[in-house]
Amino acid sequence: MIGGAYQGKYEYARRMYPDISWIDGQTCEEEDIYSCSAIFHFHSYLERMMRQGKSVRELAGRLADENPDIVIVSDEIGYGIVPVDRFEREYRETVGRVCTELAVYADKVFRVVCGIGTKVKG
Amino acid sequence: MMIHLVTGGSGSGKSSYAEEQIVKENRRYDAPFFYVATMIPRGEETKEKIKRHQMQRLDLGFLTVEKYVDLEELKIPDNAGILLECISNLTANELYREDKQSERGGKEESDSGEVSSGAYDRAYRAVVNGALKLSRQTEHLVIVTNEVHSDVNGYSRETENYRKLLGKINCELAKKADQVTEVVYGIPMEIKR
Repeated sequence: MIGGAYQGKYEYARRMYPDISWIDGQTCEEEDIYSCSAIFHFHSYLERMMRQGKSVRELAGRLADENPDIVIVSDEIGYGIVPVDRFEREYRETVGRVCTELAVYADKVFRVVCGIGTKVKG
Repeated sequence: MMIHLVTGGSGSGKSSYAEEQIVKENRRYDAPFFYVATMIPRGEETKEKIKRHQMQRLDLGFLTVEKYVDLEELKIPDNAGILLECISNLTANELYREDKQSERGGKEESDSGEVSSGAYDRAYRAVVNGALKLSRQTEHLVIVTNEVHSDVNGYSRETENYRKLLGKINCELAKKADQVTEVVYGIPMEIKR
């Protein structure tokens, strides 16, 4: 479930999957993602891992192996000017690459604009 | 009273698309189309650009009304459609208007230049209610807004708050709209109908 910030992605996902529990990418433990049902603020999870100097290169593949039913909500952050700050540049690029890989493994991909989801895969 | 919300990035062709919708759907009516402009003209260059666009729209049958804040007060006469452009300007005008400075008060705000939550709520209501009021004065309202949310660029807290407010307004308008379209490089993607 992707889309710009403040587009109502999480609300949209919760309506689609009302009975699953969520973890917050801003606060969860690193390993939680491999056992949870669903995560929101996924981009923040990636940011935190990167700030801790952890590699996220294997993350998408490992998720597909160990937690293939996961629901992921992430901001799309790559539609603007390339940031001046080096970390922001890498972070922005990494979110794009990881989500692109996840979309390959995903059964469904939805993009939410103005609170409304459009199916882009599945 | 049909509401059509049109969104898209800068230079995506959403304005031309929005004009087209009004003109092609309502050509058969005698009354004029109305264009509600929300951009405050600042500087000679902007004024000339605005004038040029007004003349172009006049050829299409649009009369231009300028309304920068307090959209709820606007009374539009008999018409064959209204185009409101755009929500991102209107939201900024309401949020940063100087005659409501008292609502921006609080000592924390004076240091950071930030707007109080009361001002956000007021701006939210002014924009959403203004648009809905407009929709009751026409058979066909097309609203143009802007997609500024798919980026990360170390925005200031104030800009981030503006993005949040615009996102919330866009979600609410989309909920009320009969039709929502995202224009991508001039191509209309129907996301609600």
